[in-house]
Amino acid sequence: MMTTMSKERKKIIQAIPFMLPSIIGMVIFSLFPIIMATALSMTDWSGLEKFTIHTIPEHFVGLSNYAHLLSHKEFWSTLLHVVYYIVLYIPLGFVFSMVIALILNTEKKLTGVMRVLFYIPVLTSWVAASLIWKWVLSSQYGVINSIIGIFGMSGPDWLTNKYWAMPGIVLASVWKDMGYYGLYIFGGLRGIDPTYYEAAKVDGAGKFRTLISVTMPLLSPTLFYCLIMSLINAFQLFPQVLIMTEGGPNGATQVMVERIYTYAFSYFKMGYAAAYSWLLFLIILILTLIQLKVQKVWVHYES
Amino acid sequence: MKRKAISVLMQLSMMATLLSGCGSANPDTAQTEAPKETVTESSSVEEISSESSAEAAEPGKAITITYANFNASGGNEATLDSMYQAFHEQNPDINVEIETIAMDDYFTTLQTRIAGGTAPDCFEMNIENFAAYASKGILAELSGADTTGLNQTALSAFTYDGKQYALPENFSTVVLVYNKDLFDQAGIDYPTSSWTREDVDKAAEAIRGLGDNIFGIYQPVTYNEFYKVAAQYGGSLVSADGKSFTINSEENIKALQSMVDRVQKTNVQPTEEQMGGMGDWDLFESGRLGMIPTGTWCFNTFTDACDFSWDICVEPGQTSKATHFFANALVVNNDASDEAKEAAKKWLSFLASSDEAAKIRLDAGWDLPALSDMDALSSYLEITPPENREAVFESLDSLVLPPIITDYSQMSDIISDAVSKAASGESTPEEALNEAQKLCEEQINLQ
Amino acid sequence: MVIVTIPLYWMISTSLKSKGALMALPIQWIPKKPTLNSYKKVFTLFPFARAIANSAFITIAYVVITVLSASMAAFAISKIRFKGANVVFAMYLTSMMIPVQITLIPMFIIMNKFSLINTYTSVISPAIFKAFAVFLLVQNMRALPDDYLEAARIDGAGMFKIYKDVIMPMMVPTIATLAITTFMEAWNDYLWPLVMLSDKNKMTLTLALNTLNGQYDTEYNVLMAGSLISMIPIIIIYIIAQTQMKQGITVGGVKG
Repeated sequence: MMTTMSKERKKIIQAIPFMLPSIIGMVIFSLFPIIMATALSMTDWSGLEKFTIHTIPEHFVGLSNYAHLLSHKEFWSTLLHVVYYIVLYIPLGFVFSMVIALILNTEKKLTGVMRVLFYIPVLTSWVAASLIWKWVLSSQYGVINSIIGIFGMSGPDWLTNKYWAMPGIVLASVWKDMGYYGLYIFGGLRGIDPTYYEAAKVDGAGKFRTLISVTMPLLSPTLFYCLIMSLINAFQLFPQVLIMTEGGPNGATQVMVERIYTYAFSYFKMGYAAAYSWLLFLIILILTLIQLKVQKVWVHYES
Repeated sequence: MKRKAISVLMQLSMMATLLSGCGSANPDTAQTEAPKETVTESSSVEEISSESSAEAAEPGKAITITYANFNASGGNEATLDSMYQAFHEQNPDINVEIETIAMDDYFTTLQTRIAGGTAPDCFEMNIENFAAYASKGILAELSGADTTGLNQTALSAFTYDGKQYALPENFSTVVLVYNKDLFDQAGIDYPTSSWTREDVDKAAEAIRGLGDNIFGIYQPVTYNEFYKVAAQYGGSLVSADGKSFTINSEENIKALQSMVDRVQKTNVQPTEEQMGGMGDWDLFESGRLGMIPTGTWCFNTFTDACDFSWDICVEPGQTSKATHFFANALVVNNDASDEAKEAAKKWLSFLASSDEAAKIRLDAGWDLPALSDMDALSSYLEITPPENREAVFESLDSLVLPPIITDYSQMSDIISDAVSKAASGESTPEEALNEAQKLCEEQINLQ
Repeated sequence: MVIVTIPLYWMISTSLKSKGALMALPIQWIPKKPTLNSYKKVFTLFPFARAIANSAFITIAYVVITVLSASMAAFAISKIRFKGANVVFAMYLTSMMIPVQITLIPMFIIMNKFSLINTYTSVISPAIFKAFAVFLLVQNMRALPDDYLEAARIDGAGMFKIYKDVIMPMMVPTIATLAITTFMEAWNDYLWPLVMLSDKNKMTLTLALNTLNGQYDTEYNVLMAGSLISMIPIIIIYIIAQTQMKQGITVGGVKG
């Protein structure tokens, strides 16, 4: 008993110097703003006044912001739009990233060039990327519909049609992110011990079989990271929407973070925006907790 | 234990060298030694007012004020700077630190700094945000500022509760810009100031007949255009006493119907799909659009971009004429020290109403100063195209102002949604406006 | 390949077009009259060298701090595995889920309390806590077998030595990935520096490019030219990081 106690204590003492900078950062840049945002979510503060210690008690309204949000259609429809985005984005993004990773892994020539090419979209700022895609998806002047036109079909009115606007945004997002996840998965592939493949070969497994039963399980911690990150990012979907559709047409691409930003900085309802963020936060948190639980079933750590 | 202690120390010293190393690693030491300079630098924003107030007590000492603006972004920073040079020559005691921020981020930045208590001493404001800022007590009342030379309509747009909180700095109006070549091809007369919306519709149909990709007119079905067209039909968004919404009035429904018909019924105006994501100016510049009611700020761009001849006239109305009026104004931060406020007023008066600033502004072809004396603006009329520049001044006779309410952005978003639903045919104009009326009543308190 | 390159090609060709050619019908795949005017305009609009120097300084400091702070924390969480490490890790993960839009004003108020407004420090210091970086590194460090750690411990190496000499070399590919994403994030960030910095001399390249957006009109060709120019440093850094990644992969490969 004593030994385990002191062993634990020793570990903590060892950990402190390593954790210190990061923990200090967390308290200042994350914990404190979150506490403040929580307090604000229970006020009707406009955000357009100097913040003082009296701000919160003076503007306190209890949980009424939350009640208003939950009883309002807007919150649920923006949530639905995000879900729509995720349902399209995650599978599509996964397939494209995986393809990139596999191309890089098998293709021996030109990998240097290809790695740079695939990564350039990742390196582009969202402002520039969104502007490009607004052009690319333009139904009359856009490249995509010109290509579809070559095959004698006419392409959809991407960003101006309420059913096609979100798929358009998904395309742009996949284009921008696939290089990042692709190269990350590629790193994971390279880390796999070749002996596993040899063993699979000895067992007479085919290429597809090897991919499913050897590569995928060994890659699972990498894929888990990709999944969590893309979920969190998907819920915070914002700059591309703002520039490409401004939430339109007719609110079909209105998403949660865009609403939060608008309430906070355009309608001057900071308290309401803070409550909105809290609900968004709770949704992501619950989903991540589920992921963390489920990962035990499919994620395989080497150690 | 010893080893642990050493590792802790190493860790800490590593952090320390890292932090100090960043500063000195940079070649440009004077400005970039951030960590060391922190204390002195940071004082600049916050303590300017207190520092300078102490200094201003002694005669002949200089004061430095900060000024933030968005209007100079996109190419007019040098113009603003030469205005400041002229001002500084007359008032060597007053230094102005100018910060130019792109419109898209300007109000977010400003709001954040206000909440943090570090707003600039004076800054630029637009009509949309004015009421919200004034109602929160952020703006200083400009009592005693000289306003005689300023355009009265513009001045009245920036009063709140009967008090003047801002000096209008510049203005733009909207006129009907038309492609002369397309009118010639269609064999019809050019628009005149006596036209009504029906005359416009007829001309637009004639031009639409010239080809599949050629359109008669583009007047986007948006909030901004809607409140103006409503006024052309005698309608308004808010009742005269400012206490209730009148969004779904009969006049307004008629106005919206006429806008929507151009898209849905006669298709003299392209639908969203026909636009395919391209901008309205781009359509006009490409020579495939007959008429476009748009702001006077388009003149420079159209002069450069259009290889056909074009001109302007006062925008046709219906039961009455109504022209958009946009103005930016200059305001003083209520939290600034008294000395900073006085200096800021001087600087703002100079920007808004001095002959020097007006001349620099006009010479640069920036925008029109909001002066009441049209003679001062005569040089503006000499520039062509457009030939009929007088139309800009003529249009000042029938200005319509948007309602000055604190929840302006929210109201305009609700109405935007509604009118775009009507434009796409998803609901009728009447349904759309009823819905907007309901939402505004629910969500906005007009007091 | 085609999907990746077309938008890029479009970006380059747009930057070479004149304003009038932007909207020509049918679309011009190759600009009929290519011009470098957009590029000239970008260079004359603001003190370019100054903005690049500021951006470079801020970004490099930001990357170095992120990598150090995050790798140390990730090491403690995944390798020392102290009691409560999982709780801390969960907290880190959670903190990523709060949208930045809502913490903007609280962060500003804190910076103001520390009197850091209008300093480089205010822009750089949030680098000390990047939850996503810790997450990335923890996820990768967990995949490293503990055998090395034990071996080093038996050799009498302290924790700091293990971190520096054993774990970090094996993490080079991940660190390179992290460095490049952080570099990009810091280089392209504009809302935070915009709110923090009001002094023109401290303006970053992204902030400067943003002033190309006028109140009424945006010149896309100039904007594209500006974006392309601002991408060049990132691409160079990326290519450098690439070679690091390759070396790192070989180092990591020894482990099997």
